[in-house]
Amino acid sequence: MEEEESLRVVRCGGSELNFRRAVFSADSKYIFCVSGDFVKVYSTATEECVHILHGHSKLVTGVQPNPNNHLQLYSCSLDGTIKLWDYLDGILIKTFVVGHKLHALFTVAHAEDSVFVTINKEKPDVFQLVSVKLPKSSSQEIEAKEVSFVLDYINQSPKCIAFGNEGEYVAAARDFYLSVYFFKKKTTSRFTLSSSKNKKHAKNDFTCVACHPKEDCIASGHRDGKIRLWRNFDDDKKYTYTCLHWHHDMVMDLAFSVTGTSLLSGGRESVLVEWRDATEKNKEFLPRLGATIEHISVSPAGDLFCTSHSDNKIIVIHRNLEASAIIQGLVKDRNIFTGLLIDPRTSALVLNGKPGHLQFYSLQSDKQLYNLDIIQQEYINDSDLIQIELTKAAFDCQGNWLATVEQRQEKETELELQMKLWAYNKKTQGFVLNTRVGMPHEDHITALCFCKAEKSENPTLVTASKDGHFKVWILTDDSDIYRKAFGWTCDFVGSYHKYQATNCCFSEDGSLLAVSFEEIVTIWDSETWELKCTFCQRAGKIRHLCFGRLTCSKYLLGATENDFLCCWNLLSCELEWSTKLNVKVMETDPNSENIAAIAQSSVGSDLFVFKPSEPRPLYIQKTISREEVHWGVFVPRDVPESFTSEAYQWLNRSQFYFLTKSQSLLTFSAKSPEEKLTPTSKQLLAEESLPTTPFYFILGKHRQQQDETLNDSSGNELVQLPLTENIPAISELLHTPAHVLPSASFLCSMFINSLLLSKETKSAEEIPDDVDMEEERKSDDSDEENDFTEKIQDTDTIDLGEDILHQLSKSEEKELRKLRKVDYSWIAAL
Amino acid sequence: MAAGGGGSGDPLSRAGVPCAFSPQNQAYFALASTDGHLRVWETGNNRLHQEYVPSAHLSGTCTCLAWAPARLQAKESPQRKKRKSEPVGTSDQIDLLALGTAVGSILLYSTVKGELHSKLISGGHDNKVNCIQWHQDNGCLYSCSDDKHIVEWNTQTCKVKCKWKGDNSSVSSLCISPDGKMLLSAGRTIKLWVLETKEVYRHFTGHATPVSSLMFTTIRPPNESQPFDGITGLYFLSGAVHDRLLNVWQVRSENKEKNAVMSFTVTDEPVYIDLTLSENREEPVKLAVVCRDGQVHLFEHILNGFCKKPLTSNCTIQIATPGKGKKSTPKPIPVLAAGFCSNKTSLLLVYGSWFQPTIERVALNSKEPHICLIRDISNYWAPKVETALTKVRTPVMNSEAKVLVPGIPGHRAAIKPVTSQTEELESKRKLGDKEVSIEERLGAMDIDSKKGKEDLPQTNSFPVLLTQGLESNDFEMLNKVLQTRNVNLIKKTVLRMPLHAVIPLLQELTKRLQGHPNSAVLMVQWLKCVLTVHASYLSTLPDLVSQLRTLYQLLDSRVKTFQKLSHLHGKLILLITQVSASEKTKEMICPGQKAKLVYEEESSEEESDDEIAEKDSDDNWDEDEEEKESEKDEDVNEENEEEDEDSEEKDEEENGEDRDVTIEKELNGDSDLDPENESEEE
Repeated sequence: MEEEESLRVVRCGGSELNFRRAVFSADSKYIFCVSGDFVKVYSTATEECVHILHGHSKLVTGVQPNPNNHLQLYSCSLDGTIKLWDYLDGILIKTFVVGHKLHALFTVAHAEDSVFVTINKEKPDVFQLVSVKLPKSSSQEIEAKEVSFVLDYINQSPKCIAFGNEGEYVAAARDFYLSVYFFKKKTTSRFTLSSSKNKKHAKNDFTCVACHPKEDCIASGHRDGKIRLWRNFDDDKKYTYTCLHWHHDMVMDLAFSVTGTSLLSGGRESVLVEWRDATEKNKEFLPRLGATIEHISVSPAGDLFCTSHSDNKIIVIHRNLEASAIIQGLVKDRNIFTGLLIDPRTSALVLNGKPGHLQFYSLQSDKQLYNLDIIQQEYINDSDLIQIELTKAAFDCQGNWLATVEQRQEKETELELQMKLWAYNKKTQGFVLNTRVGMPHEDHITALCFCKAEKSENPTLVTASKDGHFKVWILTDDSDIYRKAFGWTCDFVGSYHKYQATNCCFSEDGSLLAVSFEEIVTIWDSETWELKCTFCQRAGKIRHLCFGRLTCSKYLLGATENDFLCCWNLLSCELEWSTKLNVKVMETDPNSENIAAIAQSSVGSDLFVFKPSEPRPLYIQKTISREEVHWGVFVPRDVPESFTSEAYQWLNRSQFYFLTKSQSLLTFSAKSPEEKLTPTSKQLLAEESLPTTPFYFILGKHRQQQDETLNDSSGNELVQLPLTENIPAISELLHTPAHVLPSASFLCSMFINSLLLSKETKSAEEIPDDVDMEEERKSDDSDEENDFTEKIQDTDTIDLGEDILHQLSKSEEKELRKLRKVDYSWIAAL
Repeated sequence: MAAGGGGSGDPLSRAGVPCAFSPQNQAYFALASTDGHLRVWETGNNRLHQEYVPSAHLSGTCTCLAWAPARLQAKESPQRKKRKSEPVGTSDQIDLLALGTAVGSILLYSTVKGELHSKLISGGHDNKVNCIQWHQDNGCLYSCSDDKHIVEWNTQTCKVKCKWKGDNSSVSSLCISPDGKMLLSAGRTIKLWVLETKEVYRHFTGHATPVSSLMFTTIRPPNESQPFDGITGLYFLSGAVHDRLLNVWQVRSENKEKNAVMSFTVTDEPVYIDLTLSENREEPVKLAVVCRDGQVHLFEHILNGFCKKPLTSNCTIQIATPGKGKKSTPKPIPVLAAGFCSNKTSLLLVYGSWFQPTIERVALNSKEPHICLIRDISNYWAPKVETALTKVRTPVMNSEAKVLVPGIPGHRAAIKPVTSQTEELESKRKLGDKEVSIEERLGAMDIDSKKGKEDLPQTNSFPVLLTQGLESNDFEMLNKVLQTRNVNLIKKTVLRMPLHAVIPLLQELTKRLQGHPNSAVLMVQWLKCVLTVHASYLSTLPDLVSQLRTLYQLLDSRVKTFQKLSHLHGKLILLITQVSASEKTKEMICPGQKAKLVYEEESSEEESDDEIAEKDSDDNWDEDEEEKESEKDEDVNEENEEEDEDSEEKDEEENGEDRDVTIEKELNGDSDLDPENESEEE
């Protein structure tokens, strides 16, 4: 840490995974998804991120495997480049500079040296599909300016464009139009939904398009939930379509399986529907996927599907509709009401997760730990329903208590509120509901805080509400003769001139409670609940309120809506200082006196770190983010850092995380990018070297060679893998009556030897296996079959004998022999 | 065949299953169980991360495992500066796991890809691999085996770099020095090798049985004044099979001292050892030793020179089941492994069965020498496939949870001091009652009540029964009385009941009101009646506020549900009663009621006889309210006063009722309802 660079804002995970369709690698081992400026490579088996491909400077908008090399990957970005990657090693191979903003990328197998992208040229809403010729060159960065126009006036979303029947045509949909361009004829047909003007069908505009891989068939999804299958569309007049209708809401995405026998569709219902044979009757469902299905994709091998969901997750699904893996980012479906909390027990970040859940997100491993189901009601995906929202949550200082507030408001007067207090049960290692409070207040709860004083023996909770009251809840003994029990009861109700209570906050030692009533801050003694004093600055409603800590505990800070930050001295009850600052977020560091305030300015958000006792801020960083910052939190570090520079000392014991309006979680890092690549960890990439198994030699190698010989001796269908009927030993074994068969131990070695045909054949000259050969000769049931085997032997020995011998090393041969001799002896025992 | 994994038949094999925490922040815990499966658990949420079964898992069970040092995943090109934000390096990714098997092969398993990465066979061991150690810097791997050899592997090429004979018997344990230049190996004796030359640098006595664990405990020499050559002065620790002593050795410059510097004693053979390295002289070494008996021993010691006596542990941690009821006694739950978290103040404990272990983070802040954690692991036995996939945890919501709804004590404000007061008062009163009651029962009361019963038509009232029920708190008796639906009966009973029973009755009614809504409907009738009839008596009580606070809160919260409707209702009732009362005043007969049972001289009736008419009693009530509110702060008080001033408009039901009373009283005099009843009877 000798050379400290300036602090930089870094993204710390939980980035968006559901922006575009995820794409499978050819062997379905990996999944690629775009995530901000990067492409992430995930393993489908372990859900782990294998590589992050860095290189684009703006949002990556599309990713496609290279159809000509299944180990390569194309990606396009708004920065106007197409990049070619080797995804196994995470290496950038080439960059093609196109120049326009690229919005989507498509590759087609037959178009070898060109890819298709969507660009917008003049107007902001008019997009074109163009093909880009990728010139062959050895240099790293290549200009690719050869752009030829294909289709105009298309939808920006890549879901509305599909290439069909091995690239013979492309279908694109926009609003109520479906246009099909045929590459061979170079003509465009355009179909308009007949009743698009009709009010009844006003919602049947196109949302997505998919093409059948083998036949001339286009499936289109519509806003009203219908799926239309278009056929005969090469004729403008005779075209037909059939309807499939199950979805009650918009069809979000469609995908054909690799063979085209089934069609997958998904929507807001979060049910994956598989339509078999494109008929309405044959449907299979995979329900309860948790959130709206945004994208569906199918692996080229056909064994896996994956769905991207609006709650930032990707589910990998087996062909038999069984979910096998979930790649989950930070859930970003909805508004964050609870703010950022830290669970003292696991030091995980806690915030709103799935609907009705709290998500626990591990910042160290950038992974979601789990979702805690607070509301415990089945979530119904419907846009019109007013759901129960989890609005507030708070932990006490040990993590033994969790308080949550949920609300549902249908009309202005019909507010439903519930507060739940959960106790952490150490025996079962989970939360148990202790007290449920119906309507704790008559109006919205604006703040919730526990008394965090370490020494306090009795947990205390304060709720502040718009109904003008704040309530103090304490844990009391509820034991009766039947059981011992503890429960929460209200201890005190306070109010101040009918003003709405907006914030509450305990001092560090828990002796004082500050409650802000609109413009006025009231200080209460937590022993007697007496009103001690009030502060009023007449500078707008109090937005944030916090006490200083440690040496600054005599200060109280308040940020108002009229852009003032005030600091009061609690000993003299006077205003210590105030400054004009539009504070959006104010957080105290639990390990020091420092307070971080994020202020909103016209160009972005600025960070100020200060001590209440000192007039100068410790650290200022302008424009940490262009967007508004909504929440922030200090996370105590496990191992303290040792920044020597005074400006960064505030980061020594805690790290500051903040969440912006678009829900990206950001933090600060002082490490330079080079430093992060320490030499020790740079290379531990052991080569993959798996000893090939005996079975590989028997089957894999043999099959390869067989394939080659098949190609060589074209049309010679006789050369095939030795089928079981072709092996005389087996046929004899099967056809001989059981009572005349020799003992099993005798038969076994014969049987094994017969399986080792390939080896026998190629090394027949070296190790003459008399018994086997004799057996073969004896047992010629049909002359033809024998002929086949003879032929195989011939071809093998002539064409490939040497080759295989070369490849079989000594040890492997030994292995093979060992296998033959030893391992199958247990069969004899049978 | 060594099917039993670590060779269960061998008496000198180590106990416990091979397991390890991933380096750095212990995000994963790998455990190779005796059934040949490798399972990797996430320590953060106790979830099975992945499971791998080596192809030869029955013949070549895993005997030891080791995590590779973390590699950094994010490869950033440093020349680009334009980007506004970038990933925070996705931290160091833990990937490779080396598994040694009983047949001598070593497997490298990639936890990121979930597949076998490579297999180290050629030129390696031909017997059980006992220990694997990764070199922290150069990516080399060291392994030792029962075939007496130590092998240095190059993991990049998967080839043997060097193989040498390490001992005359099997080599059971290895450890690499903190600077990476030396290697400790141990069979029964311990040897320190120079890695470059593969020569023995030092010998140590070792143990009588095969050494199962070796670990360096310090990375700096105790004497910082002397020049440090990387190894001299360092301490290391060794534990052996069947040995209850852990020995600490010091590497010294002179070659003569071969005995242990000190030793730690534990209760059983050590199975898993973890320690925090002390980085300077003052910082003690913290040591966590998991024994075969399932206990964890914690040591905290500054290593400085000799100590003859074996040191005992500072703290012992045990885990047991709760053992509910009398039949099931608490059973110990064995701890499988324990690892220090990176902040050195908390410990990750792995306990339960190896099939489904529980991983818990325990903070070490207690000074107690013995900690017993009670854990219920019965629900961990069920395989949780569903939750493993969806990552949803459902907290327990059982019926035992307390429910607070508006109106129930504890929802609005404290009741604790109040109840204690009332209890006191009640007990006083009861005592007083009982003192007198013996006389009175024998004397006046009994006869009185009998007389009353005889005198009055037996029919429609049971004040005596009610009083008795209230005094004896007899549930059935009270039920008999209170579950009546006859309004007249209620009125009559309330009218005739002794005054001292009013408050107990009210409290009983409050209690019942909080109960089932069906019974609450009946209770409302009673309540209404009591408040109407005995309002004046109630207003005389000095401690009314505290005694009836729960009732007040209850009414308050109930009224809030249909505020406007109840306003209307209150007003209508007011009008109706006024009209009916004014009609009755015309035909009113002066009640010839003689005070039969006057043992409270200043009964309310007399008061109201003295024309302390509506205003006064209303004032009284106001005072009560003020008293009530005065406990809160002045502001609320102001509000209430305001409310009271224009109480006609925004009154609540309760107040409405009160007013009913007072107004009726004004019109009818004191015993307002009596004539009505009588007339109805007639």
